[in-house]
Amino acid sequence: MEKRNNKKVIIKVSNLSKSFNNNIVLKNINFQLLEGESLAIIGASGSGKSVLLKNIIGILQPDKGSIVINDTEMVNLPRNLKEKLLLDLGITFQHGALFDSLKNWENIIFKTANKEKINNKQGKQLAFSIIKQLGLQPKILDLYPSEISGGMQKRVAIARAICGNPKILLFDEPTSGLDPVTGSLIDQLIKTAVKTVGGSAITITHDMASVCRIADKVILIDKQTISWTGTPKEMFNSTNKKIQEFIKPINSEIFFK
Amino acid sequence: MLNFFLEFLGATGKKFINFVANIGHFFIFFGSAIYWVFKPPWYLKKIFQQIIDIGYFSLPVVGLTTFFSGMVLALQTYNGFTDFNSETTVARIVLTSITRELGPVLTGLMVAGRIGAKMAAEIATMRVTEQIDALGTLGTRPMQYLIAPKIIASLICIPLLVLIGNTIGILGGYVIAIYKLNFNPSLYLYATMEYLQLIDIIQGTVKAAIFGLIISMVSCYFGYNASKGAEGVGFATTSSVVISSVMILTSTYIITALFFG
Repeated sequence: MEKRNNKKVIIKVSNLSKSFNNNIVLKNINFQLLEGESLAIIGASGSGKSVLLKNIIGILQPDKGSIVINDTEMVNLPRNLKEKLLLDLGITFQHGALFDSLKNWENIIFKTANKEKINNKQGKQLAFSIIKQLGLQPKILDLYPSEISGGMQKRVAIARAICGNPKILLFDEPTSGLDPVTGSLIDQLIKTAVKTVGGSAITITHDMASVCRIADKVILIDKQTISWTGTPKEMFNSTNKKIQEFIKPINSEIFFK
Repeated sequence: MLNFFLEFLGATGKKFINFVANIGHFFIFFGSAIYWVFKPPWYLKKIFQQIIDIGYFSLPVVGLTTFFSGMVLALQTYNGFTDFNSETTVARIVLTSITRELGPVLTGLMVAGRIGAKMAAEIATMRVTEQIDALGTLGTRPMQYLIAPKIIASLICIPLLVLIGNTIGILGGYVIAIYKLNFNPSLYLYATMEYLQLIDIIQGTVKAAIFGLIISMVSCYFGYNASKGAEGVGFATTSSVVISSVMILTSTYIITALFFG
C-alpha cells in the first residue's frame, strides 16, 4: 500500500484527461486522497467536477491517465473486479439518483440487501437507524422517493451512500438544495463518517461554508485543470483570483473564530 | 456547386455510418441481454412484477381489440360470401385470420404501444436521472436487474396474451355470426372446430414469442441508450414504438412465409 506522510493513499489520480467530442473537460488532473482525509473539490458549474467523480467510479472512461483505488488500477479493470471495488465505496449523485420504483427504505438498504439476505423488518430497522442521524422522520421509509421533498431525497441518497459504513465516501453536491440547518447536519455527518469509520471522503460542492466545515484539503478545478490546492484556512489567505471569487460571498471570521 | 455536392456526400456518409454503427450497437446489446436472460441469479420479484404489468394489465386492451376484430371480420366476410355456404366460410375465415395473423399482430401492436412505450420511458428516465449509473455502483448489473426481467416476462406473457386474444377474437366472430347474422350456433362451432389446426396455433405462438422479443429488446435498447434529458426520453419512447411496430409487421411476413410459404 502506497503511503504519504505515514498515511495510506486511498485514491490516487494521475495525469487524468477527459474530453467529449473534442471538447476537453479535464486535462492532466493529479491528486491524492489519504486515509482519514476529507477532500473538497470546488469549481465553477461546468468545470468538470462531476465528470472527475464519474471517472473515479468508472462510469466514464478517461482518455488517458490512471486512477488507483486501494492499490488497484481502476482504468481498464475488468467489470467484475470494478464492481467488487465499488462495493467499498459510498456514492451520492448530484441529483440523488434514487430508484423511483423502490420505497425509501428499500433504496437505503439496496447495497446491503444485495450482499446479504435481509428480511423486510431487518431492512426497515437498518434504514431507520441511518435516517435518524439525518434528521428524517420514520414515516418517510414507506414512501416512494417521488412522495418526499427534494431535500429529503438528498438525505435518503446520503443514507444509501453511508449504509454499510463504507470506508470511501464520494459526495456530489450533498448539501445543494438543503436549508442551512440540514446542510450543517449533513456536513457534521460527513465529518463523523470520516472520523469514526476511519474513512476518507471526496465532496464536490459549491457551498463554501460546507467546505470550511468538512474539508481537510481543498482542490479548485478551473480551466480544465487543478489550479489551486490547499487547506480551508489557506484558502482565505490565497491570492488566487478564482479562490478569492469563491470566498468573497462569505465572511471567514464566522467559520474560524 | 462542387462544395455543396461534397457536403451532401459527407452528411449522407456520416448518417449511413451512424446507422450502421447503431445496428452494430443494437446487436451487441441484444447479445448481452440474451446472456443475462440465461445467467442466474434471476430477480424473481422483478420478473413477477413485469408479468403482472405486461400480461395482466394488457388483457383489457388486447381483449377489446381482438373481440372487435373478430366481429368486424365476421361481418365483412359474410358480406362477401352471402351467396355461398356462409356458416362454414365465415367460421373458417374468422378462425384462420385470427389465429394466423390478426391475433398475434394486433396483440403485438397493442403491447408495443402500451408496454414498449412504458419500458422505454422507464429505462430512459432511469438513464437520464443517473439511476442506471447508481445501480452499477451498488453491486447490481443493470442488464441483469433491469433488462433481463423485462425480456423474460415478455417472452412468457405475449404468447399467452395471443392465445387469450385468439380465443376472444373467435368469440367476437361467433357473437356476430349467431346474434346478428342468425347463423346456426352448432354449425358455426362445428365448422370452427373442424378447421382449427395445430400448426396455426403453433405459428401464432411462435410469432408472439418473436414479437415479445422484438418489443422488449427494442424498447429496452432505446431506453438504455437515451440521452439529453426529457427530449431523450421522448425520443426513446417514440422510436421504440415505431420501430417495434415496423419490425412486428415485417417479421410477421417472414414467419408466415417460413411456415406456409
